[in-house]
Amino acid sequence: MISNIESDLKSKFPDSLLNVASEDKRITLLVKKEELYQILSQLKDTGFNHFSDVSAVDYIADKEFELIYHLWSHREKIRAIVKVRIPREAPAVKSVFDLWTGAQIHEREDHELFGIDFEGNPNLSPLFLEDWEEIPPFRKDFDTRKYVKEKYYQEDEQYPIVKG
Amino acid sequence: MEEREIAFLTVPFGPQHPASGHFHALMKVDGETVLELEPHPGYLHRGFEKLMEYRIHPQNCVLADRLDILDPFPCELGYVNAVEKIAGLEVPKRGRYIRIIMTELGRILSHITWIGVLSMVLGFDSANKIAWGDREKIIRLNEMATGGRIYPCYLCVGGARRDISQEFVDETSKALDYLEGQLSFYDYFVFKNETFVMRMEKVGRMTAEEAIDLGATGPNLRACGIDYDVRKDEPYEVYPEVEFNVITREEGDAYARSLCRRYEIAESISIVRQLLNNLPDGAFRMELSPVWAAPEGESYFCLEAARGEKCFHVVSDGSPFPYRVKIRPPSLSHSLVQFPYLVKGSAIADVPAIYWSLDPGPADVDR
Repeated sequence: MISNIESDLKSKFPDSLLNVASEDKRITLLVKKEELYQILSQLKDTGFNHFSDVSAVDYIADKEFELIYHLWSHREKIRAIVKVRIPREAPAVKSVFDLWTGAQIHEREDHELFGIDFEGNPNLSPLFLEDWEEIPPFRKDFDTRKYVKEKYYQEDEQYPIVKG
Repeated sequence: MEEREIAFLTVPFGPQHPASGHFHALMKVDGETVLELEPHPGYLHRGFEKLMEYRIHPQNCVLADRLDILDPFPCELGYVNAVEKIAGLEVPKRGRYIRIIMTELGRILSHITWIGVLSMVLGFDSANKIAWGDREKIIRLNEMATGGRIYPCYLCVGGARRDISQEFVDETSKALDYLEGQLSFYDYFVFKNETFVMRMEKVGRMTAEEAIDLGATGPNLRACGIDYDVRKDEPYEVYPEVEFNVITREEGDAYARSLCRRYEIAESISIVRQLLNNLPDGAFRMELSPVWAAPEGESYFCLEAARGEKCFHVVSDGSPFPYRVKIRPPSLSHSLVQFPYLVKGSAIADVPAIYWSLDPGPADVDR
């Protein structure tokens, strides 16, 4: 089954598939941003009907974010992992909200914590944070300890956290 | 005649503990009917994913506990497994058995607590008190094995922090016998109770297609007839060696979700018994330095927590600290996606019943 999916994708998106790795019950794809939506849509048609998660990793040295979409097929019982690299400056991808309704909340979370724009998502308002004015807090250039010390501690108080 | 805009009443749901458990939502109501529900999570947001980037693996196991207060073992198990997967560590067999014994006891603990809370919000306080009493049996086992009652801080990369004793095995067998007897009591007292059935049947119903589209997992999905259970579909640890059934129902309503959880308790009791009977001897953990560093790489590990599919994505850059940890909590879609969807058009009195039939953990949502 996985080899079918692989060959199908390779014939349809020859330019956008940068890397394909497949295990026993798992297929991992690295794709180009331009055809991300089309590839995810194709995977949905192949049977990946459960949108598990989209996570973001801040590769600050490469000046890139990596978005990782995790899909699961209830019919074939296999997992698909789709990775895409997007620039750190003005990061944006097309929302997959119309393919899986459940994806909306995961995109909203990533928008809040990483500042990634999901174009077409109907609601990207803040989810967990209240009155947040700093840069998105899960980015690598946001220092949680510095922020906490400046915001919540008096100057003469000792820094209570073990330095890592 | 001049048209006027009808002012609908807005009623808050939560965030008082324990009715909604640190979760707040605003309901727009027309008389007794809920028109719309807007969830406002964040009361328990501690930013664990970011905090973990500042800490070494043993410290992160302690943080992982706090991800889901009622069901901490799967959080630890997911984290350590993701890290072990990067390094390709082979955990000793006894360690793996101990881990799954504790995780399955944790599932029973979580489900029994849920029986209590659900009964309470339905105005059925006696069942709540009895369930919280039964919960204590497992909490004492936790304390005996790990030293912690609610937060065990028990699993570590390479195995478990302590070995379990013969006394623990005996006490667990006794507790399981007791709980198995209690299940028929719960059947009589709660699940077959006329009032309970009337409150739960045909309430908060979703079809299998809707449930999949909304991202449901765990008992909430299995109550719609989809047999997705990570323990069976992507087996991890020692699950290939134990026999158990995946409980499914067809109805997809609040009652079906309740029965799924009730029968899962029985399956978990059977799993723990099988593991205790076949508990191997030998080492229970690998000797690793506390500042042991995982090699460069990343892994994605999924497991079946009491509430559904819980996944850990860990990226390591070769230092003792993880570069990034991302947790996929099952409750995120349960309380922020399915709950608002299911309460649309229902009566206000059904809102707590629907909410707790989904069994979301607010700590699990916010992280």
